[in-house]
Amino acid sequence: MKSFSRMFLKVQMPWNVIIPADSLDAKGLMLKKAIVIRLMDEFACKKATKDRGYFMAVTTLESIGEGRVRQNTGDVLFPVVFSGITFKMYRGEILQGVVHKILKHGVFLRCGPVQNIYLSHIKMPDYHYVPGENGIFMNDKHSKIDKDVIVRFIVIGTKWMEAEREFQALVSLEGDYLGPVS
Amino acid sequence: MSGEEEENAAELKIGEEFLKAKCLMNCEVALILEHKYEQLQQMSDDPMNQVSQVFEKSLQYVKRFSRYKNPDAVRQVREYQLAEFELCVLGNLCPETVEEAIAMVPSIKTKGRAHDDDAIERMLNDLSLIKKFE
Repeated sequence: MKSFSRMFLKVQMPWNVIIPADSLDAKGLMLKKAIVIRLMDEFACKKATKDRGYFMAVTTLESIGEGRVRQNTGDVLFPVVFSGITFKMYRGEILQGVVHKILKHGVFLRCGPVQNIYLSHIKMPDYHYVPGENGIFMNDKHSKIDKDVIVRFIVIGTKWMEAEREFQALVSLEGDYLGPVS
Repeated sequence: MSGEEEENAAELKIGEEFLKAKCLMNCEVALILEHKYEQLQQMSDDPMNQVSQVFEKSLQYVKRFSRYKNPDAVRQVREYQLAEFELCVLGNLCPETVEEAIAMVPSIKTKGRAHDDDAIERMLNDLSLIKKFE
């Protein structure tokens, strides 16, 4: 894996796809389609893994190996290699996200499938909390961080939450050209 | 399988470089996910049921944060002579000045690279022209 991996990656992966016996067509014409559908279903259930990040979509089926019948169920297991798109945030990466919640000690953002990104007030140099019915953060130049504002940030850490099968991230505005984007 | 790959690339009109690429720009992901969504619509009466939250949120995100909408423009950006990740960051964030570009992608200015400030500026101009004329 390259050290400078970025957000959306196209990866080639091996996978074992299990096709129920009744989905198999005698001529194998529907096999590719059945495999792609199974993969997409598995992606939907699995959501993400710690190593790969979030699974988005299959782009190409590179190869389908010989099917092996599973004795107990009659299903057929096909080892496949496919290319797909994954999403993972990396430390040091600069990304854009949208603010969805503001608290007095920081804000929460969303970026793609990652719903839990935290930007602490400590990591917002020059911004201070302005309380009100809807609190916001603001700096001396009246630049505002409010709900639905797009913010460019740098990722300082990510965490894989096994139970929820999702990633959380800690981000910062420390750096040039980071902050709200008009 | 190369037949299928060609078909996908041609359908998406993204180009040769994409096939080898590992890092994708938001605009490329938008084209792919929209295409997938259309395929799902053809296969099922209720495509929204088929797509996961991850797919849906990601599609929303890349559509919103795509700088280049046209597949030809995307292809032109992709063919630019940069390291993959540099291309993706510049293609996603579209810095306007040389200083901003260097802040986003410090590696374009490291020793041994041919890129001096003028070259970086020319490159940024090209990228914004691609956007202007798409």
